Amino acid sequence: MTEMLRNEGLKRVRMRLITAVIFVFTLTCSGSFGMEDVVSSSGPGMTLLMILILPLVWSVPMAFVASELGSMVPEAGGLYRWIRRGMGEYWSFQAGWWWTLSLYVDSAVYVALALDYMQNQWGFGGAERAAIGIGIVAVFTFINIRGLELTGWSLTIIQVGVMVPLLIFTVYGILKGTGSGFGPMLPEGESFLTSLNLGLAIMMWMYSGWESMSTLAGEIENPQKVIPKALMIGTPLVIATYFVTVWASIRIANLGGPDNYLNMWTGGGGEDFVELAKVVGGAFMGYLMLMSAILSNIGLYAGYLATGVRPQFQMSRDRLLPRFLGKTHKSWGTPWAAILLMAFVNAVLINFEFDALITIDVFLLMFPYVLIFLTVMIMRVREPNTPRSFRVPMPTWALGVWVAFPIAIAIIALFVNGMDWMIGGLAGILTGPIAYLIFKNIYKGTTDEALEGSTITPTGELTEFGAAVEGGQA
Amino acid sequence: MKGQNYANLTAIAGIVAGAFAIGGGLYARSIEPIFGIPQFFGLYSQYLSGVHVLVGLGIIMVIGGLLSFKWPSVGGIIVCTAAMIGLIYTYNRGQYRWTPYLYYWWGPWLFAWITGIFAGYAAYKNVPQSGEKLADARHAEGHSG
Repeated sequence: MTEMLRNEGLKRVRMRLITAVIFVFTLTCSGSFGMEDVVSSSGPGMTLLMILILPLVWSVPMAFVASELGSMVPEAGGLYRWIRRGMGEYWSFQAGWWWTLSLYVDSAVYVALALDYMQNQWGFGGAERAAIGIGIVAVFTFINIRGLELTGWSLTIIQVGVMVPLLIFTVYGILKGTGSGFGPMLPEGESFLTSLNLGLAIMMWMYSGWESMSTLAGEIENPQKVIPKALMIGTPLVIATYFVTVWASIRIANLGGPDNYLNMWTGGGGEDFVELAKVVGGAFMGYLMLMSAILSNIGLYAGYLATGVRPQFQMSRDRLLPRFLGKTHKSWGTPWAAILLMAFVNAVLINFEFDALITIDVFLLMFPYVLIFLTVMIMRVREPNTPRSFRVPMPTWALGVWVAFPIAIAIIALFVNGMDWMIGGLAGILTGPIAYLIFKNIYKGTTDEALEGSTITPTGELTEFGAAVEGGQA
Repeated sequence: MKGQNYANLTAIAGIVAGAFAIGGGLYARSIEPIFGIPQFFGLYSQYLSGVHVLVGLGIIMVIGGLLSFKWPSVGGIIVCTAAMIGLIYTYNRGQYRWTPYLYYWWGPWLFAWITGIFAGYAAYKNVPQSGEKLADARHAEGHSG
């Protein structure tokens, strides 16, 4: 392969703000499925409180930081390139590697969850499950290779399918449910801290993904403006969605008695959103909610297949991963080889028991998050005057105090997920240095001076160079 | 800092990681000679006891550390891989997670990770990067970096 400019071959598409918001919504929320486990673990009041409070110290800082860094370094690969600029090649490789590794597993989980919902309902066998799973992977692989426009359209349709049943469910919760939804605050016998601990890990997971959209910056026109706006709109939207739907679900669960919230969990035998929908709306409403749950997971898969491959594409272009991963489709301008590889791994994983691999998932994501927060502080100090079309509206010291909270939460999270998660995570972390040492010696890397990228001018526009090189017509 | 300095730090961290594992293994042996089920992924052998694995992988880490003086990338890979295998062994202790054994791997893991970091910095300094000069947009107007 001849030498390629870092973003050469990628095609930028004009993404409407609403589509960008749907991307953000998909990557960070995509419905509230999974929140049921928090309600029974932490109690109704505590769950609703966490939905409102946790974003202030966890997801909102990430949304703001991702907006600032994304508006300053709007390049393909997103977080990988931010960290490279702030902390250098080694740590950016680590972040990109851990993040990618985590998403390889994570995206497969979403297909598996969608299949679980289907299998529970229709009871088909292993062969059918495998065929449907591979079918889902194949369809969204094609859509992703075809480009972000089609991916955006498919996510829009999916999110309509997710949210319409959830909105109807919420109306049922208001009209037919009972109780304030906030009581009891904690499960009987649990203290504030133990209750918090039980639900925190899930809640952190539900509120993650704000950095993901940034990885698509090389393929969107004016990413330095569109992505931060989408994040700012998406943040309250996600909080509101979680709050009203979970509140409605608790009110509906209360129809079975004041302690019925203890029966709320996902998986067999629990009163999840689907079962609760049947209580108030009958079988038809149950089907609607089942479709919503399936589409929610499929949407997450489609979204993370899109964003999960871009850092490895950029790492390949930076000569830190095999070069075939840096190939782009001649007509559609997408990193097809990276997409195919991830899809292939997903298709294999969903047909095997991969519980052990899931254990590395959360753990590996926390480390890139810490590096992103450190990067924003380094950039504020080292490059205070570099143009940013979005700047977190607070002085650097205050930003430092604010991001200290999510850093602390990320570190705490490493210890609260259980021993097997920790072992898997610690082993996963060590793959980072090993991979860097292998690939660095094979592919050499690229000097910082040789890296070009999309940089913005003081007026907030993409540099002419970046636009000229990457600005294929959609 | 020069590449050789990072290589030296890699070596020291690798040797410390190995020393932690060997020391942990010997301490474990003083409590319980076998220390755990001598099994790993379905293989049963007296040499796969907790003590043997700690000491054996510790020796490999020390060797990796020593190699790092000359070849930090090779040494870093050896030390990190040994620690990873040790952790996987911990995970593979039957139906339950064998917590007491994990405690012995905290030191080796931490220093193996540090070994990997120093080895990475050494590689960054020592491996000649591709330095093709492309039009660099970071020199655009307004960029202060």
